[in-house]
Amino acid sequence: MIVIEGLVKKFGANTVLGGVTERVRPGEKVAVIGPSGSGKSTLLRCLNLLERPDEGRILFDGEEITDPKCDADSVRRRMGMVFQHFNLFGNMTVLKNITLAPVKLKIMTPGEAEEAARALLSRIGLTDKADAYPAMLSGGQKQRVAIVRALAMNPRVMLFDEPTSALDPEMVGEVLDVIREVAAAGMTMVIVTHEMGFAREVASRVMFIDGGRVKETGPPKEIFDAPRDPRLQEFLSKVI
Amino acid sequence: MTTAYEAVTAALEWLTRQFTITFITGNRYKLFLTGLRNTLIIAFGAVIIGTFIGAVVAMIRVYSAQSGKLRALDKLCGAYLAVFRGTPIVVQLLIMYYIVFSFIDNGISIAVLAFGINSGAYVAEIVRAGILAVDIGQTEAGRSLGLSSGKTMRLIVLPQAIKNILPALGNELIALLKDTSVAGYVTVKDLAQAGENVRTLTAEPYFSLLFVAAVYFLLVMGITKILRIAERRLAKSDRH
Repeated sequence: MIVIEGLVKKFGANTVLGGVTERVRPGEKVAVIGPSGSGKSTLLRCLNLLERPDEGRILFDGEEITDPKCDADSVRRRMGMVFQHFNLFGNMTVLKNITLAPVKLKIMTPGEAEEAARALLSRIGLTDKADAYPAMLSGGQKQRVAIVRALAMNPRVMLFDEPTSALDPEMVGEVLDVIREVAAAGMTMVIVTHEMGFAREVASRVMFIDGGRVKETGPPKEIFDAPRDPRLQEFLSKVI
Repeated sequence: MTTAYEAVTAALEWLTRQFTITFITGNRYKLFLTGLRNTLIIAFGAVIIGTFIGAVVAMIRVYSAQSGKLRALDKLCGAYLAVFRGTPIVVQLLIMYYIVFSFIDNGISIAVLAFGINSGAYVAEIVRAGILAVDIGQTEAGRSLGLSSGKTMRLIVLPQAIKNILPALGNELIALLKDTSVAGYVTVKDLAQAGENVRTLTAEPYFSLLFVAAVYFLLVMGITKILRIAERRLAKSDRH
């Protein structure tokens, strides 16, 4: 579904991704792990073109999205993204946050969008917060809303950029529950995460990135129970 | 020896006479009314032009800085700011009247334009600061949903920027209203000019000038009040 070929991304003189070649298949749940600054988030952000790669190609459903002529907006409509800091629109109610893009992009009528949004809100148990503003919500509630906001576009893939890193510990569980549910519904997902337990449980494949390169990838059992790469072994010994 | 009674009578007489020659004789109150009308026309016209120019210039500069595109237009905007913030408004007004639009004899229209273009330079910097103060995550979230940069700016960033800059915009609006008092330089009969006119006609400075000062003061108080109401309305998403 997503094919990444020789992806290089530099910020000035700093090479963040040093040639990543990978593939995400339909239905896969890929957990991307690795130390801070290893390039995990940059890789994710390259996938929906929030960062423009310097070299290499990315194909999404057979279309080369790194082609300068490719319409990035239309690509992003098919890729949901969830951010570490939620990034709910502060000037809009929860309902408006969810319905904005589908309505403004004329994918749904306002009526359809509201109906869909309310159904999504009831799935995450926040029906009563439809008219609340983001400032009135807890971190966990904000992130759950951010997830359904992305889902409201009916994306083909969901990208999660450290979705629980900015949360108080007691709120991590409620957000992971929602992600778990999305995964169970068959969504193709790429999750950058520090939650190793969650990666082991939900991911169908784990990708370890260090120094801008994929050092090892495989099923969670192999990665966590029998890591081969020495940097991965060292990383796991520190985080688990 | 004058008694207190006589002193009061004399004072009342003086006040009555001053009032009469300032407002009644020769229907001079009409001069003030015309002046007030012209001042309001210039101020409101200039606010509309200034806000429009300011918003457009600010968006061009922010977009150019973020995307690296529209470099030439960005330079042009920079030159506009330098010129119109770098020279006195009176001089700009005179140049507009006697050079740029020397073929048109309509002081009010030229004043509207001159004050609007001048104010636009200040508004541009205020709006730019407001846009930059909105978390970049808001833009990224909008773009990640497939909204274009224009839609993201208009629907998400700008409304939040305006909320942040309302006090600064209020300052600019108040300064603009008072700045229009130099419109008399190009033969416009504005409020200040009306006061000056009546001062000359009556050969008495007190009522004419103090009255004009009081009217400006009340106008500014009115603007302050309206801005405070607007601020309170926009702050509704901040309530916890």
